[in-house]
Amino acid sequence: MSVSGETIMRHLTKIAFGMLMAGLSLGASAQAADIVVGFATASSGFMQAYDKPAQDAALIRIDEINKAGGLLGRQIKVVTADTKTDRAEGAKAGLEVIDKGADLVIVSCDYDFGSPAALAAEAAGKISMFLCAESVKAGIQGVGPHSFSASILAAVQGATMVDWSYNKKNARTYYRLLDTWTEYNKGVCDGFDWQLPKMKDAKLVGSDTFKNEDTSIAAQITRIKSLPKPPDAIMLCSMMPGVVSAIKQIRAAGITSMILNGSSVDGSYWLSATPDLSDFYVPVQGSIYGDDPNKDVTVFNAKYKAATGGDPSSQYVYPGYVLIDVWAKAVARAGTTDADAVTAKLEAMKDEPTLFGPRTFTSELHHQNKGKYLIVDVNKGKPSVVGDWTIAEPIPLSYLLKQ
Amino acid sequence: MVARKSVLARTISTPIILTLILLAVAGLSLWVNNGIFTRTIVEVFIRVMVVVGLYTFIGNSGVVSFGHIGFMCMGAYATAWFTIPPAMKKYSLRGLPEIISHNQLSFSLSITLATLFAGIFAYLFGKILVRLSGITGSIATFAMLAMINTVYSNWETVTGATSSIVGIPRKTDLWTGFAGAELAVIVAYLYAISRSGLALRSARDEAIAAAASGVDIARERLKAFVVSGMILGAAGALYAHFLGVLTPDAFYLGLTFISLSMLVVGGMNSLSGAVVGVVVLSAIIELLRTLEKGIAIGNQTWALPHGTQEIAIGGVMIVILIFRPSGLTRNQELSWSGWPFSERSSRQKSSIKDGVSEGASA
Amino acid sequence: MTEIIQIIIDALSLGSLYALGALGIALIFGVMRLVNFAHGDTIAFCVFALLWPSIDAAAVVFAGHLPTVLLIPLILLIGAGLSVLSEIIVFRRFRKANPATMMIASFALGFVIRYFLLMLYSSRPKSINLWESLGESIGFLGARVPLLQIVTVAITLGILGLLTLFLKRSRYGLEMRAAAENFTMARMLGVRANRVIMLAFALSGMLAATTGLILVTQTGTVDIQMGASVMLIAFIATVIGGLGSLTGAVTAGYLIGAASVLMQVVLPLDARPFRDAFVYGAVIVTLIWRPNGLFVARSAKQRV
Repeated sequence: MSVSGETIMRHLTKIAFGMLMAGLSLGASAQAADIVVGFATASSGFMQAYDKPAQDAALIRIDEINKAGGLLGRQIKVVTADTKTDRAEGAKAGLEVIDKGADLVIVSCDYDFGSPAALAAEAAGKISMFLCAESVKAGIQGVGPHSFSASILAAVQGATMVDWSYNKKNARTYYRLLDTWTEYNKGVCDGFDWQLPKMKDAKLVGSDTFKNEDTSIAAQITRIKSLPKPPDAIMLCSMMPGVVSAIKQIRAAGITSMILNGSSVDGSYWLSATPDLSDFYVPVQGSIYGDDPNKDVTVFNAKYKAATGGDPSSQYVYPGYVLIDVWAKAVARAGTTDADAVTAKLEAMKDEPTLFGPRTFTSELHHQNKGKYLIVDVNKGKPSVVGDWTIAEPIPLSYLLKQ
Repeated sequence: MVARKSVLARTISTPIILTLILLAVAGLSLWVNNGIFTRTIVEVFIRVMVVVGLYTFIGNSGVVSFGHIGFMCMGAYATAWFTIPPAMKKYSLRGLPEIISHNQLSFSLSITLATLFAGIFAYLFGKILVRLSGITGSIATFAMLAMINTVYSNWETVTGATSSIVGIPRKTDLWTGFAGAELAVIVAYLYAISRSGLALRSARDEAIAAAASGVDIARERLKAFVVSGMILGAAGALYAHFLGVLTPDAFYLGLTFISLSMLVVGGMNSLSGAVVGVVVLSAIIELLRTLEKGIAIGNQTWALPHGTQEIAIGGVMIVILIFRPSGLTRNQELSWSGWPFSERSSRQKSSIKDGVSEGASA
Repeated sequence: MTEIIQIIIDALSLGSLYALGALGIALIFGVMRLVNFAHGDTIAFCVFALLWPSIDAAAVVFAGHLPTVLLIPLILLIGAGLSVLSEIIVFRRFRKANPATMMIASFALGFVIRYFLLMLYSSRPKSINLWESLGESIGFLGARVPLLQIVTVAITLGILGLLTLFLKRSRYGLEMRAAAENFTMARMLGVRANRVIMLAFALSGMLAATTGLILVTQTGTVDIQMGASVMLIAFIATVIGGLGSLTGAVTAGYLIGAASVLMQVVLPLDARPFRDAFVYGAVIVTLIWRPNGLFVARSAKQRV
């Protein structure tokens, strides 16, 4: 009886092994004629909901390129591997797409979940790109010289909101409410902290923290309400799902100050939780609401709907498109998919126009520390673009790295 | 009972069999010779360390600890502090003492120090926690995990808070993984047959009788707590060098429950149970993942829908536990002489009331 | 003064949530010594029942559109149903297993429920607005308080009252209390074990549904993980309160709620992110001070 556990185990290993062999034989390598783009992203688990939209956008751009004759005269072929929202699986997914011949490895949206695959790509001398990571680490600093992110740093969002609200909404007193759950949230507040002292007469009247999973932020709200005068604006550095609860509770407590946010709250899918929400501002790279000043964005939205059956749910769809766009341009300019050559061409990009704002990469930063944002105003529960804003000077790298 | 063989002689077959299992797993990896599969195997070895470490405390003391993953976190971060190149940690981890931030240690030295670091904290926490038994002890260890996690998630200058720590050399390969798992098995075995291990298990089965026979339960528990904490610390360190990136949330409830499940499914009162639990569940998980990726039958590819693996593994665990409530090994050790060295408890303890009397006593 | 009233109400409303959760866990722990880790996922399941399965970002409201008089019984029924079903399909097989095995089985069950929801609804949190009017603030002893907080406290106290009546006055209640005190003895005296246990699961499921409804009304969010944090605190409260003591579980739930709110108020900004470390530190201190829980002495006295 003491052996039967082992027997079961042996039996199972045998089966598992057989399956594995079967699985491996499937992953036949791509034909040499194709350029291969590998997606080491989550097709299951928590990150799936965040990876898939951006990945769909990337696939749209790939499709466009293929229809227009391909890249360097070759077609782009897509291979995928599931990270299962697991870090160790992520590294394996990275290796798997490289085994399948990937010239570019696209990794999960979030730095924490994408980095294992990106590190695997870096070790294999391949270019890796994060679908939409907004941490400064998603690039040279956290992966290596061949890693990029197509989105804009979280700090730029915080800084943009301060700059814009000061100039356009005459906000002078600010309150800072930080959800300490993730690096993204802290990044938004870092940008806020960098920008605020530059604003003449602007004052920070209070600061507090909460945790995303807090079911009630009553104590934090009590603190805001005991201020002698309500602040002009509350900088809310948070993300789903806790942010909805926070907004709901802030408004329920009768606090009507304008609420400034990072891009993470973009989308109308959650607005039903807070009917008639007003004075609520979000920076976005492109508008999903059909009112983008750039008509091509609306065209893209239609394409996205045709491809996936639904409208983009938030602006986090767009970086996926940008990613393939800038990479393909760099490959075309380099005339090869070689990692060093393509990196050099990417680093040569300065205010490279894309559908969703200009992109700049340097040999020090493979991310955007300045960027054009559209400002979305939610008025009586209806979001719409009210303008755009670009911060005057980029946030210095040394500040981002807290040096 | 005159010529009774020594404990070592009677039980030595267990670690040998377990070593053979581990060797077989390593051999499988060599035979397949595929980078992805090798990573899976290294992960299995690290999991073996974790679960064997948990067994060392839980199996011997009978107190289910929810907190030991915290020591894994400590070991992982400690080795990160020691091995990240000074140029990087000078900025990202400003709060570190100069002696750490200006130096970079070798892989093996760093792992050793990380293990000791986890051991020291296991001693400090253990001092307080070992007095508690049963479910109270479990909750107290969970509170410890939550405290460790809160501190590591927020201490910006020393742990980087929720921000990932990067730049950890990725050095854990198949053989370091194997060595770690093997060492964990040997240490756990030696502890289990030591005077302290025997005393602790007697206290687990009959607390009052053991105390009456002069067993200082708290002291023996503390020893097991520290040994177990150190194994977890070492596992954490190897994990850090395996992945190269660290965040505190990787060492929280998810990992705690998966590891505990592997232990209980294997058989929580036996070392063999720890190893078998990991190997069997890992094999099933891998099998399901392969099915999710799809297998070719004739010209068609047949695949499970994404996400089925997690649902199925939960179901598999329940089914195993229904048929084997004391785990796959029935809490016995694997051995070629046919009988285990100490375990007879699985048949004694069965009534529902037992959980309570256990909680109330000691 | 108004600030103090505000803080008291904050503490009461947070404590109420924890108390409801703790009650759901303590009921089952009382009759079968099972630490039910699937409770958090039962909470999530009840809340997801408000929506139609869809992996789109926008929620497709389903049961959530029903009038309140139908909605509340339906969700309570779903909670009770799922809970009883777990008992029949899974936990019944573990009557003789040790507590650790049962605990892992409950965790595995929770895992299955969670990933099942994830497959149907995706991990993206969804939004829903239930009972909008509860979001309004009212004047209360000079403080402005969201109506929902008052309602939460009132509902919790109401449920506690009803449950006490049920346990003290009805035959089933008597049987449950007897089973919680000494299960073996109760069985010998003619208490039918399966019926009592199923009843406990049904009540626990309804408590999960109530917790879920309050959570979703308060946060406006439906999320896979939404039951998890409440469940953990509830679990701690159950133990601090004293094993098997329902009064203890509820009291401890309120105490933890109060401690959490108080820490948020008194800690300086730099220490506030570490709030939970202080709360859990207090938990350890309490456990060392009273290893058998705050209320164990009283129930032991009753037994004599």
